[in-house]
Amino acid sequence: MLKFEKRENIPLHLRILIPLISILLGVLIGGIAVMFSQVNPLTVYKAIFIGAFGSTYVFSETIVVAIPLLLISVGLILVFKMNYWNIGAYGQYIMGAIFSTYFALNSAETMSRSILLMMMCIAGMVGGALWALIPAALKAYWKVNEVITTLLLNYIALYILKFLMYGPWRNPRSFGFPLTKIFELNAQLPKLISHTRIHLGLIFGIVAAIIIWIIIKKTKFGYEIRVIGENEIAARYAGINIAKNIILAMVISGGLAGLAGMAQISGIIHMLQIEINPDYGYTAIIVAWLSGLNSLTAMIVSFFLGGLFAGASQIQMTMKVPIGIVGLIESSILFFLLGGAILTNYKLYYKGRKII
Amino acid sequence: MDAIVLQAKNISKHFPGVLANDHINFDLRKGEIHTLLGENGAGKTTLMNILDGIYYPDEGEIYLNGKRVDIRSPFEATKNGIGMIHQHFMLVDTLSVLENVVLGLESQGFYLDKKNISEKIAKISKKYNLDINPYAKIWQLSVGEQQRVEIIKTLFRGAKVLIMDEPTAVLTPQETDALFKILRRMIKEDKSIIFISHKLDEVMKISDRITVLRKGKLVGTVDKKEIKQKELAKMMVGREVLFRLDRNPMNRKGEILKIEDLETHNDKGIKILKGINFSIHGGEIFGLAGVSGNGQKELAEVIVGLRRAIAGKVYIKGEEVTNLCPKAITKEGTNYIPPDRLKVGLVPNLNTVENAILRRYDREPISRGIFLNYEEAAKYTRELIKQFNIMVPRENVPVKFLSGGNLQKLILAREIREEPALLIAVHPSRGLDVGATEFIRKKLLEERDQGVAILLISEDLEELLMISDRIGVIYEGEIEGIVDIDSADINEIGLMMAGVQKNPLDK
Repeated sequence: MLKFEKRENIPLHLRILIPLISILLGVLIGGIAVMFSQVNPLTVYKAIFIGAFGSTYVFSETIVVAIPLLLISVGLILVFKMNYWNIGAYGQYIMGAIFSTYFALNSAETMSRSILLMMMCIAGMVGGALWALIPAALKAYWKVNEVITTLLLNYIALYILKFLMYGPWRNPRSFGFPLTKIFELNAQLPKLISHTRIHLGLIFGIVAAIIIWIIIKKTKFGYEIRVIGENEIAARYAGINIAKNIILAMVISGGLAGLAGMAQISGIIHMLQIEINPDYGYTAIIVAWLSGLNSLTAMIVSFFLGGLFAGASQIQMTMKVPIGIVGLIESSILFFLLGGAILTNYKLYYKGRKII
Repeated sequence: MDAIVLQAKNISKHFPGVLANDHINFDLRKGEIHTLLGENGAGKTTLMNILDGIYYPDEGEIYLNGKRVDIRSPFEATKNGIGMIHQHFMLVDTLSVLENVVLGLESQGFYLDKKNISEKIAKISKKYNLDINPYAKIWQLSVGEQQRVEIIKTLFRGAKVLIMDEPTAVLTPQETDALFKILRRMIKEDKSIIFISHKLDEVMKISDRITVLRKGKLVGTVDKKEIKQKELAKMMVGREVLFRLDRNPMNRKGEILKIEDLETHNDKGIKILKGINFSIHGGEIFGLAGVSGNGQKELAEVIVGLRRAIAGKVYIKGEEVTNLCPKAITKEGTNYIPPDRLKVGLVPNLNTVENAILRRYDREPISRGIFLNYEEAAKYTRELIKQFNIMVPRENVPVKFLSGGNLQKLILAREIREEPALLIAVHPSRGLDVGATEFIRKKLLEERDQGVAILLISEDLEELLMISDRIGVIYEGEIEGIVDIDSADINEIGLMMAGVQKNPLDK
């Protein structure tokens, strides 16, 4: 009875209406769940909204969350365009954090701030890129499925981090906690706006989004990636070097995830620890998908999801709702957004009548 | 007069930018073969997809045995006894024949009663002479065999009306004859068949009645006995068609392609080429005849670098190019028109410009440093479109929305514009209408007159006889014989294709 037909082009009003309606539905379902815990859903949503956009400070926290999401997702967009499913941003993010920490711990006294930060950025990107290079080479030369390799490498990265934190990099004065010492000011990314936590990483993210957009739309490399992603046989026929493209795209994707890891520890946490929010690596997959693999749209989507997470963490602190409820609200909204994305790409017919 | 089984009244269907069916009327009688004839893009397949429930008409009604029906999905079409065999087979490559036959059947429980099903398949096979091993995997079968699986699939579901979308486009003459025998057998068993084609001689051979469509409109329905092939052609294209191609005498130049003892594996890892030897000179068309699955496809792939040779050598203009990468071989002056347009030759979801530049996106002026110069790319594409008369609604429409003939023209244009020394064309006119076929053949002849060496691989013997200068016959991975066109005898070639006779002169 229900039938889907692919759209040739997506009308603008649908691009706006469908996500809006999806969010409303997600809010509705999430609200029902909230009622079960004896709290008025309206108060909760009001609190989330205020917690995300209600004051300059919380607004800045929204942007703080959006920075890593944006950096990682635009890199993912590049490889997803090629039909390469990098699930490993989590691990690449961790490796970026680890590599840059090496300089933060060892070169803070010998380097000026700008040089040190530049070194940390490069190290972060190299760390993420190297971690992405492993599954890329396995895929390019031996056709090993990247979903499995990138996913498994996440755990290896996590345990390398744990090893360093419980071992060589643990601050002897941290009373046994797995933390490094706090980074010197030299190793901290400068703030963009005082009295907030918004750091230079925001600029990195915006620049990365623009560069990725240019790569995909305007360059030969981007063209090759699209040809490979849409029809690998035709790419071979045209003589496109598929192995080279996989490796290059993954190096960029991993490098951006690594840079996100670096920005997070250097701009926000100011030390290396076990909890450095690598889950952004998974959430960024959703960002990439919701933005329709368009890196400029990813800026808006990152901001919105940043608001959702920032707002949700606010109510966790201010209202007495169980932590699980917060996750439930987040996921029901995401779920409807992803489901709604189908309708932006396909027409829906019911009994032969076009519905949307 | 037999009863009308299926009737379509006033069917209209719009697609973005085209009116694919404009108030079409069509009816099918019990036990007849009713051909739907028309050029590519005439709306034949759209109409049939509506009868099969894949599309829903914007306007119009369908009657089955006099009763109005509303067919909203292929599943409902099946329930109403309508089965369609598509031009592109709807089979799962990695599953067996049996599994494909039962795929999607409602009556199947959790456990698959393979024995029972295979007996049922055997019964159908026997009744209609559809010889097939129910346990073979689809990817192991030749195109002709896969088609048989499709037929069995529809019969298994109890179809009374069979729609066959250009079934002969992929078959050899012998396979076509066999198919026609099967079709005649089916109408004797009270099945009714809608046959879609644009090969006039076949249409005249098999049809009872013929309905002609042109540009989405109904031209008319005629009785086969009351019409001549020429009149039919005129109905179809709206003008007179050339049946013979004039060509200039061959101006043979130096040797371009030389193949020595070439061997390779097919996808299953079985040796499919067992020592191929031949050469092609500039200014000649070398036609390679053979029944599908004898190594033609693999031969073309080895030459262009898409498949590895396990023994033997390939030379282009005296340079050895065996197992070089496709790009290096293209650089040596080899261009390739692959058998599968949308799977190999084009990127369906990219637009005309992006497909047109596939060969030269990394050369100036379309390449500008690391960037693509889209203005130059669009300019170049417009040149191709104009020069080759390609019909494109808009340049930024994905090419999957173009018709088969225009897709092939786009590929041909792109490959010829590279000014190759060697052009390999595999089934270049397969599935194309009369107009596009003629266009493609003329272009190949033009290239030949320019001094290009052409390897034409085709299962259409008439096409080979029409434009080749020499014809080689491949059988089970070996060249059975090579004949000059002047001394070519279709019966002799047919026997070589069947592996019966070797040409004594050649060996």
